Amino acid sequence: MLSVDERWDLIDKISKKTIKFGKYRHTLKDAIGELTVKPLTGIPVAIAVLFGFWAFFGAFAGFFTDGFLVKLFDAHWLPWLQKVFPAAKDSWFYYIFVGDPLADNCFEAFGVFTSGLFVAIGVVLPAIVAFYLILTLLEDSGYLPRLAVLIDTALHKIGLHGYAIVPSILSLGCNVPACTACRILETKKQRFIMMTLLAIFIPCGAQLGIMLEVIPESVGWVILYLLLGYFILGLVLNKIVPGKSPEILLDIPPYQKPMLGNVGRKLWMRTSRFFTVAIPFVLLGVIIVNLLYLTGIIDWLAKALSPLSMGWFGVPKETVGPLIAAFLRKDLAVAQLSAIEMTKYQMITSVVLVSIYFPCVATFVMLLKEEGGKGLLGSLAALVVTVFLYGGLLHLIWILLGVA
Amino acid sequence: MKNKFGSVYFSVFGLFVLGFGIAELIIGIASKSFTWGILEISGEFLVWRGFILFFAGLFYLEGVKNLVEIHQLAKVVMASIMIWIIAGTQIFSLITESIPGGEEGGWLNNWRDFLSTYSPPYIPSLILLPFSLVTIYYICARKNKVG
Repeated sequence: MLSVDERWDLIDKISKKTIKFGKYRHTLKDAIGELTVKPLTGIPVAIAVLFGFWAFFGAFAGFFTDGFLVKLFDAHWLPWLQKVFPAAKDSWFYYIFVGDPLADNCFEAFGVFTSGLFVAIGVVLPAIVAFYLILTLLEDSGYLPRLAVLIDTALHKIGLHGYAIVPSILSLGCNVPACTACRILETKKQRFIMMTLLAIFIPCGAQLGIMLEVIPESVGWVILYLLLGYFILGLVLNKIVPGKSPEILLDIPPYQKPMLGNVGRKLWMRTSRFFTVAIPFVLLGVIIVNLLYLTGIIDWLAKALSPLSMGWFGVPKETVGPLIAAFLRKDLAVAQLSAIEMTKYQMITSVVLVSIYFPCVATFVMLLKEEGGKGLLGSLAALVVTVFLYGGLLHLIWILLGVA
Repeated sequence: MKNKFGSVYFSVFGLFVLGFGIAELIIGIASKSFTWGILEISGEFLVWRGFILFFAGLFYLEGVKNLVEIHQLAKVVMASIMIWIIAGTQIFSLITESIPGGEEGGWLNNWRDFLSTYSPPYIPSLILLPFSLVTIYYICARKNKVG
């Protein structure tokens, strides 16, 4: 295998023999392209782009969810379903599929056809569409490779390189395709670090959408806390995981206008995955969690784990239920948290815990497929240590601030 | 002549953008709000908006010298794009707020409330937006010159 310098030398030799250099006049697009990769100008531009990303995401998802779908589900769908559902209101069948008969909104009813459908279609779907639309525009315009160059130095500190931004950003949509995208990283070490980091510290689009709905004023803090964790754990893993983290040559395409047809096709391809992969898991998740509640298993677990949840993490013991649901779908778990009475700070801790706790089952399967059994065990070991330390640290911060 | 006008225009405009950026940063960090006439410095992500405007102002001031040079013009264009991002998302957010009828109302908003969403006061980026559009003239002028 050639070293980086040897590779560059080889490129120089080949290009000298094969390329005829003519006169090239810089275009405005070239000059803007240069500005977006230089740290001094590129970082403020990247912040502006990420600001635009987040502001659009919030406005788009809020328009559909708060503007129309909350009303549709709470004022029309829920009362209609409560009226016509063919089962006695105190039966387990009604409890699983419609949920609490006294609930006046779909968030708190927690049935398959109420909370399950509302979370999947009413909250998560608009968030997923908004996320993938912007991601596609950034990809097709040529900005994403420039972001990779810009962040290359920072990611080298955690054993990765600029292209790791692709799985990281993809993971903000869904961790499953992001695990596959880790194949663009060269070494086993890099792939292990990336998959572990995305499984623990990157909330998916579904989760972001539901966080925006449940804790809109604290989402920024939660993301900041997760981002810090991403770099801290990355630094630690880079030190302790054996293996190489080589340099990479990035090919940067010129800026171009995204083509409507391509954007539409990519958006459909990515969103349709949500219908086939995520929605069945949300509905199945509600069924399993309701069954666990009905059989008393969650109450038993809540009591058994209360020293850990209340003592170490400082959250109510009822959060055990959502943590179990988080294994199936994290968005579902955050929605469940919203129905538990707790302080703002306990809510932030709970949401962070749900985020860094076990990856959802779909991601779990992908980790097993991509990393193998040994790699998965390593990721899980990192995860368990992180959950304990990070959750406890957050509780300690609240104690020191006098709000716990 | 056009070049000189552009340099003066973007110097003055850059100072305004920089000033608004600093104001948003200070007010955002202090967690306060400020309203004066049609101007309002408050709302979500105020510190971030201030940070972006601050750098946009610096880019304008950095780019005004020898505006015909492509790398200098690129700085001015980049600064304008940063303002367009903030203003664009603000306009999009106003549109998405103005259409639904609200919790108690019908599906769609009534005309009065719909129109009132667009009434002042506005955030600095929205006020700066029309003045930043002069950049488009310079982009087109350059395109015509190069052919």
